[in-house]
Amino acid sequence: MVQGAVDYSLIALQPDPDSQEFWAAAREQRLVVRACADCGQRWYPPAPLCPRCRSFDLEWHEAEGRGVIASYVVVAHSVLPAFRPAAPYVVALVELPDCANEDGEPVRLAGLLLDGEDAAGVGVAVEVAWEEAPDGAYTVPAWRALETPEGAAVWRLDAELERSEAPA
Amino acid sequence: MVRSGPGLRDRYCIVGVGETEYSRWSGRTTLSMACEAIVTAAADAGIAVDEIDGLASHQATAGDSCGNAEVSSALGIRTNMGVDILGGGNSIGQLVAQSIALIEAGYCETVAVWRSMNGRSGLRMGGGAATRGGEAPRPQPVAATGRGQYQVPFGIRGAPTIYAFEAMSYLQRYGYNTLHMADLAVTQRFAATLNPKATRREAISVDDHQNSRWIAKPFRLLDCCQENDVAGALIVTSAERAADLEQPPVYIMGGCARASTHNPSWTWGRPDMTEGWGTYVRERSFSSAGIGPEDVDIVTMYDNFTTTPMMYLEAFGFCGKGEGGDFVGGGRIHLDGELPQNTNGGQLSEGYAHGIGYLIESARQLRGRTDDLCEGWRRGEHSHDRARGCRQALAREDRRRRTRGEPVAHPSPPGVAFCAGGGGAQQGWTVVLRR
Repeated sequence: MVQGAVDYSLIALQPDPDSQEFWAAAREQRLVVRACADCGQRWYPPAPLCPRCRSFDLEWHEAEGRGVIASYVVVAHSVLPAFRPAAPYVVALVELPDCANEDGEPVRLAGLLLDGEDAAGVGVAVEVAWEEAPDGAYTVPAWRALETPEGAAVWRLDAELERSEAPA
Repeated sequence: MVRSGPGLRDRYCIVGVGETEYSRWSGRTTLSMACEAIVTAAADAGIAVDEIDGLASHQATAGDSCGNAEVSSALGIRTNMGVDILGGGNSIGQLVAQSIALIEAGYCETVAVWRSMNGRSGLRMGGGAATRGGEAPRPQPVAATGRGQYQVPFGIRGAPTIYAFEAMSYLQRYGYNTLHMADLAVTQRFAATLNPKATRREAISVDDHQNSRWIAKPFRLLDCCQENDVAGALIVTSAERAADLEQPPVYIMGGCARASTHNPSWTWGRPDMTEGWGTYVRERSFSSAGIGPEDVDIVTMYDNFTTTPMMYLEAFGFCGKGEGGDFVGGGRIHLDGELPQNTNGGQLSEGYAHGIGYLIESARQLRGRTDDLCEGWRRGEHSHDRARGCRQALAREDRRRRTRGEPVAHPSPPGVAFCAGGGGAQQGWTVVLRR
């Protein structure tokens, strides 16, 4: 369990005009992604125009906050002083099915998996959780593992290693 | 219809190469090292430094090296072209492409392409400062701006963490594990044992790899390239000028400049994050050179981490999609294997210079004058005996004959080198060279 171990005071978040509403929503524990008012395309991270139809007429789409891990990394050695006390920690790349696009472009966010390495795997279902920086400076979306449905395919690096080392 | 590419096949050459020592603490300015590399490369080519009228370089992070104006002043040369670009591993092929394009257009005649970095003692990748003795400084808050807003507060900073996502996805999609990564690390390290300038020259085993500490899973220490201080330089000029210089010319057959996927700044958002820029420019790279993968004698594949070459070998058709993890095993990429890869030991073992080292090594291999432990390497005298310290690779036909046990009285050096650089799936370059 890494919750609380990260020293967010050692990160100076500097939102910009393209991102300030994303961070403002996070402060209210709402996960939003950019959406095109013209063609409906959704994308992350926030960018100033639609990458599909190039419209600057944009909206925010409020995500359910549930997703599936598409990939992950277990950081043993962090160059970020803020995260050193939490190491080893897992950053999961989470795909949001309710934000998927018709053209096949997924919406994927990276974030801390609060349950740690034992819970990590490609295919693991997760839901959003919120990490608060000290003094209410900012709020960061993170992830908590949900019970993976029976029969769902989950891939873990360590399981692959054990299988390859097992005698034939 | 695929465009034929730059259309300058064999009209430009790399005529000189040079580098400083690879070290962990140079105690020098990037300016001093850049000038040494350029002066060394000019001497290698047999041209006067005054003949250089173009300079081209890159910085991975603004300020991690001096620029062309300082180098021009320090060398005492007046230039007609100075290209300073931002970028890391995706840069050196772009600079070669810009150089030949600008020479062709008549803007300049002879360009020194260079990279200088105190990548260990100065600004390290990921931004950590090196310390030597004394107490570690009190940590300062790290700014999260621009794209960093979606990385730094989420625990992502530094190359190992950034590239681990696509590496993990690659292992998962194609059923590989870290033992396949070990094969690559061990094979390339063997080549480095024959490279006197390599940062790491001690042989390693699969066990050494598996027992090295985790950095960012799936990467262990021995999956990561070196961090070091070094400068390298290449002299690029026309084939006409190359004809009467010191070294056998190395012709630039073709390639691509800085090619991208459709989402290079959030590469993890692409449907298949393991399928990168290379798949888009495979045709362009080969058709511009007028060859296919079967005509290539040696390759250099950007090895910031052990998984990157697996994906690049697939992208350029040296093996099938999803076969890269197997391809790098079984001795295939060994100096005497089917397709020798990173014969200097690569950035994993020789050292890290954001890719210029691949072009320097390829030029020397194609000349038949690889800097190994053979006494007469400068004159092209090689034993081709690995047990006696020879690192000179052979042309593919000679290599096949030797593998079959047939005698090869006078082995030829490799004829064609295919070099690919970038770092990950998002952006990269290719340079195809021949002797």
